[in-house]
Amino acid sequence: MDILVSSVVAGVLIGMVLALVALGLTIIFGVMDIVNFAHGEFLMLGMYTGLLTADATGMDPLLGIPVAAVVGYLLGIACYWGFIRFLLRGPMVAQLLGTFGLMLLLRNLALLLFGSEDRGVNAGLLVGKSVAFGMGVIVPATKLAAAALSLVSFAAVWLLMNRTRVGKALTATALNAQAARYMGIPTERMNALAWGIGGATVTVAGALIVNFWSVNPYVGLLFTMIAFTIVALGGFGSVPGALAAGIVVGLLMEIPGIWDFVAYATEWDWMMDVPVTSFKYTFVYLAYFVIMVVRPRGLFGWKH
Amino acid sequence: MEALRAAFDFSDFRPTERWVSRAVAAFLLVFPLLPVSSFATATMIQFLMFSLYGMGWNTIGGYGGQVDLGKAQYVGIGAYTTAVALIRWDVPFWVSMPVGMGFAVLWSFAIGYPLFRLRGHYFAIATIAASLVLKDLFEVWDFVGAARGLEIPAHRFATPDFVRLIFKEDVYYYYVLLAFFFGGVLYMNAFRKSRLGYQLRLIKDNEDMARSLGINVHWAKVKTYAIATAFVSMVGSFHACYIKNIEPEDTMSLDLSILIALMAMLGGAGSLWGPIIGAGILIPLKSYFKEWFGARAGLVGMDLILYALIIMVVSAVEPRGIWGLVERHRARRESA
Amino acid sequence: MPALLEVTDLTKVFGGLRANDGISFTVGAGEILGLIGPNGAGKTTLFHCITGFHRPERGTVRFDGRDITGLPPHRIARMGMARTFQTYVAGGDLTVLETAMVGCFSRTASPSRARIRAREILGFLGLADLADLPIRDLPVAGQKRVALATALGTEPKLLLLDEVAAGLNPGEIGELMDAIRHVHEERGVTLIVIEHVMELVMNLSDRVLVLDSGRVIAQGLPQEVAHDPAVIRAYLGEKYAARYLEEASP
Ligand SMILES: Nc1ncnc2c1ncn2[C@@H]1O[C@H](COP(=O)(O)OP(=O)(O)OP(=O)(O)O)[C@@H](O)[C@H]1O
Ligand SMILES: [Mg+2]
Repeated sequence: MDILVSSVVAGVLIGMVLALVALGLTIIFGVMDIVNFAHGEFLMLGMYTGLLTADATGMDPLLGIPVAAVVGYLLGIACYWGFIRFLLRGPMVAQLLGTFGLMLLLRNLALLLFGSEDRGVNAGLLVGKSVAFGMGVIVPATKLAAAALSLVSFAAVWLLMNRTRVGKALTATALNAQAARYMGIPTERMNALAWGIGGATVTVAGALIVNFWSVNPYVGLLFTMIAFTIVALGGFGSVPGALAAGIVVGLLMEIPGIWDFVAYATEWDWMMDVPVTSFKYTFVYLAYFVIMVVRPRGLFGWKH
Repeated sequence: MEALRAAFDFSDFRPTERWVSRAVAAFLLVFPLLPVSSFATATMIQFLMFSLYGMGWNTIGGYGGQVDLGKAQYVGIGAYTTAVALIRWDVPFWVSMPVGMGFAVLWSFAIGYPLFRLRGHYFAIATIAASLVLKDLFEVWDFVGAARGLEIPAHRFATPDFVRLIFKEDVYYYYVLLAFFFGGVLYMNAFRKSRLGYQLRLIKDNEDMARSLGINVHWAKVKTYAIATAFVSMVGSFHACYIKNIEPEDTMSLDLSILIALMAMLGGAGSLWGPIIGAGILIPLKSYFKEWFGARAGLVGMDLILYALIIMVVSAVEPRGIWGLVERHRARRESA
Repeated sequence: MPALLEVTDLTKVFGGLRANDGISFTVGAGEILGLIGPNGAGKTTLFHCITGFHRPERGTVRFDGRDITGLPPHRIARMGMARTFQTYVAGGDLTVLETAMVGCFSRTASPSRARIRAREILGFLGLADLADLPIRDLPVAGQKRVALATALGTEPKLLLLDEVAAGLNPGEIGELMDAIRHVHEERGVTLIVIEHVMELVMNLSDRVLVLDSGRVIAQGLPQEVAHDPAVIRAYLGEKYAARYLEEASP
């Protein structure tokens, strides 16, 4: 029983963090209909930022988060003004090509600067500690904190989007850029802001994830795919959809744990023989494929 | 018969284009006779392989406008079919290659049928997902060596072995592949002027209009996807014999899929020369950048950084790729 | 006259809006039916329902003796029904000739035969000189004419034209009218023509069907329909219609 509960809890917690990873992607997509293949690379840079801030200052890695947010925000804005802006005029093929280029660039800059070896956080306030919930459920403190901080970030973005003038302008741009332009909203700057927020949220997610996940320059792609799945599931452009879908995807990644539970509980040998742990991410990819084919508007049907 | 004539008919290209392509063809024919390094020959083989991948990609991705980022799965199917058949049952390459193409096409139908209900970005990402699922399956499938992959025991065969396509010298591989390459160019030349070719271009422009003309748009895409697949799988089979050591991580990786699409997009999607230009520029750059920078400590990644910058500049300046730049230049000169 | 197209009780709803509301009519083989009505009357929607682009909520469409309701567009097209679109803007790299060829490909797989046929059609629509231009370089009116040529390439029994004359000058309208007449007479094509250019509809049509707010409000000979009070009301509005009718009556 405790395997099952642990898996579910772990899935929900990681799902909240993954939702934050996807949040930036869905905002950018919502505002300007462009898919950013370099999204995972932003996350990777966020992970390095968290890690290196901790290393350099000797502070707890969690304190790297605000630094990561600033780095991500600036990076997002810079990418928009320096590059993405020029892609928007072109057809989809050029946008794909361009963001691939960006992905390769960021990945290899990281390789050049940080080297290719795996690096992780191994000291800190929360590292190595864990919280027991009873029923045999033990959760690493880092994951718990990451999930909680993800929720906080989500709330912050939600407030920004729904309770501030600039957030409303952003939403208006997402709904209908042309109409927004006539209303006097500087849509170019809104696009840049979307990239800023997108960059900040995903690098914050990176700084959270690095507390329990080691980083190397190639780590981005996996997260890009996970983020795509979440965005597809939650509905392209939907913020609350991303949160719900993130949790679903977190649970999908815990299928191996759940599988083991069923295998032991039922003592079905064939289930034990299936190397299900190798398929941890396969379920995520499969989910994307199936969702898009069966329900292209996302599982929850949220879409403006 | 008409298709055959169309394949050899390049008369709708401009004289300069025809002369340049003849010169390139002649250069490719005599290349191994020149005093070149084995590194250069290996680079040329890569160039030919990626040109062929790109031509396959270009059918559906360029003429059809459906950006496919999952081509590596078909490289894998071709490569694995040939490798498994050779290792286990000593099946000749010339048998296993068409069989692999058959498997790949069947798989492409299974994937393509649901996939082509999607458009644009959604389609592109779904092709990635499908390809990754197949790769994950191969990584645990013991019959094909799981994550370790397979190795063709080349030492067991007396070389040069034209039946199994096992050689010691690259020059044999080069000429076999060059034959494929010329075949590919001729096929693509006929394809772009065929019924399906024209229909596909109209579909890319305006699906509703295509439907109203009695074209089954979905089926046309699935069919073209199968053609693209056959191309890629064919080169995959060759890849197995050439590299001899295949594993899911390099034959079926997302990086490979992306590279295939990049070459064609960068060269110019939807033109006959595009994939060849793309591969002709990117492959040598990649090899030689790696050679120059990779060897030097502290500069790992530099090669791909330059490479990425080129891609970014082209995508921002001329979305139709390098061929688009050429056409733009030409249009400006003609109007002047 | 045997009915080529038979539409019964066709209804199409968008949200709360009944874009087509219980529309019934028939078109005999060899006829030209004009379809008019104010903006938003549901004319284009009716075309979409007949040609399979929309699935109607209720009603049936019979074509050439077969029930085609709910069939996909390409199946209907292959039975001999072609159409043009009200909004058509080309963005691709096909030339005028190549676009027209795609229509001809529904009858032949041979590119050379398709090319000959396409040239022929372009010639008699007065587009021969434009054959090698990219279609995106043409003005919208020209693009629509190419779309008409392309539709003709499928050798249809029934051709549905959605505002092909929009944006043409009077001279061009005359040419287009001749071309349509030619299509009708020489090739025996039955036509349904949506048009706001009254001169063209009234001169060409054997019969006219008037839609307003999704409903058929009148049908009959062009002259009858033109003087029908319900039609005048639909076009001019209640107040002006009353005044107009007063003045017109002796
Ligand atoms: N896909 C759609 N979704 C929702 N409403 C639609 C859709 N298509 C048409 N409508 C509505 O249905 C009504 C009929 O539209 P339709 O295009 O058929 O008119 P029309 O007679 O062709 O007008 P026009 O002369 O301006 O072309 C309009 O009110 C339009 O807004
Ligand atoms: Mg209309």
